Amino acid sequence: MALDQELSPAHSTRSADWVRLDDLHDDPYPVYARLRDEAPVAWVPAANRYLVTRYANVHHVDNDPETFSADETGSLMKRVMGHSLLRKDGASHARERKAAGVPLRPKAVKETWTPLFRRNAERLLVEMRDAGEAELVSQFAAPYAAANLRDIIGLPEVSPEDLTAWSQAMMDGTGNYADDPTVWARSEAATQAVDDALAEALPRLRANPDDSMISAMLHAEDPLSPAEISANVKVTIGGGLNEPRDVLGVAVWALLTHPEQRTRVLTDPRLFSVVFDEAVRWTSPIGMYPRQTTREVELGGAMLPAGARLGVVVGSANRDPRQFEDPDAFDIDRPRKAHLGFGSGAHYCLGAWVAKASVGQVALPMLFDQLPGLRLSGRRPVRAGGWVFRGLLDLPVAWDH
Amino acid sequence: MPKIIYNHADGTHDVVDAPAGTSVMRAAVTGGVAGIVGECGGQAMCATCHVYVRPERLAGLPAVSEDEDEMLDCAAAGRDSERSRLGCQLFAGEAFDEIEVDVPESQS
Ligand code: FES
Repeated sequence: MALDQELSPAHSTRSADWVRLDDLHDDPYPVYARLRDEAPVAWVPAANRYLVTRYANVHHVDNDPETFSADETGSLMKRVMGHSLLRKDGASHARERKAAGVPLRPKAVKETWTPLFRRNAERLLVEMRDAGEAELVSQFAAPYAAANLRDIIGLPEVSPEDLTAWSQAMMDGTGNYADDPTVWARSEAATQAVDDALAEALPRLRANPDDSMISAMLHAEDPLSPAEISANVKVTIGGGLNEPRDVLGVAVWALLTHPEQRTRVLTDPRLFSVVFDEAVRWTSPIGMYPRQTTREVELGGAMLPAGARLGVVVGSANRDPRQFEDPDAFDIDRPRKAHLGFGSGAHYCLGAWVAKASVGQVALPMLFDQLPGLRLSGRRPVRAGGWVFRGLLDLPVAWDH
Repeated sequence: MPKIIYNHADGTHDVVDAPAGTSVMRAAVTGGVAGIVGECGGQAMCATCHVYVRPERLAGLPAVSEDEDEMLDCAAAGRDSERSRLGCQLFAGEAFDEIEVDVPESQS
């Protein structure tokens, strides 16, 4: 299918002023369905962006970084975290990606990190097991993701609780379009805390290289500067924590509510990897990311001016019926097709192999194995939320003990 | 124009004419060839573009790089030490003028 054939003739961009941020937060999928049908590239005043909601257009944007730049002007992420690789294009992006990516490649994940993931999961499960019930996001998914991340980044002296708090504060800052001063104050305190931890870690890792990301950036063929390392560590703390946390919660919830699929997975644990991947497609943890046009361009039938701020809505692309049959269903048997849950092209998620291993190969099988009869406790309703980032907010579960 | 033949496990095949510079992965993805995913867009990061090159077409292909080698070990379908390649690392006009590959049954 040629992408150009998907583009309808140009017409003036429609404004979707009916879209409300509250609706997107609670359940974005009906909104996305309407946008995909009525205005696949729409100016959405509530988001102050053009939202791109169809699979073909999102894929096209990902694969044309010269027109659709990641280096957004006035980016809140840059303001909070500094200029990380996530907001760079071309050679400077590639250089940082190469340096930071070494410990995230599959061999390192398998040999260095997977045994550590097992230890981190085991420790949390031992703490939980006798209670017979838990809120799975805050008691397992989040601390598990934080412990793994701390080890991979190379800040072993930081507690998972601190890392979680910093991550949240910085992410709140990157979404602080309301310009709330208390949010700025919290995110600034968090970035200062990260810099303090780095000031302690850098000399140590400079003298004693190890397998961590900070060490890789310091000792790369073309080493990164302290400012570059700081920005990339911050973006990794921001992104590296909520994505595995959220996909883990979503995957558990999906299996608990699809008993037939669960039964099959339990008899063939290799299917946990498929569960992981389908969960990323079904409820993509990163639902939207920004891009900015470098020139006037037509996209999805809309004319975009140069400098237009876009929201690339992966959460919608991955539910586009033009790409996936019955896209709202969680279905581990669906024919394997590329989804965009990790992005695509130059910014394809650097942490994809870490997430696959830590969630799909370690946490999911261990949870279902060690918490027999795992089920929703029914004490409170399960709650999901978010659209820029989407995941479960409350997943009360119980098991036999 | 360089030609790529994709053989599927069910005995069917696709033939795609690929402009010079197009990779075996990109030609499949844009040509709607089933069984090649290309999730990372060609960065040797995802291993979802794994193909088995037909033995008689192996001559003249560039060597497997370190990154490609590591990624091939992660391919869902077993690696064949002689024939396995990442489709995103083989470019029409550079690596071949005509190539015939077998598409694995699964990429994930
Ligand atoms: S497309 Fe990802 S490794 Fe080839």
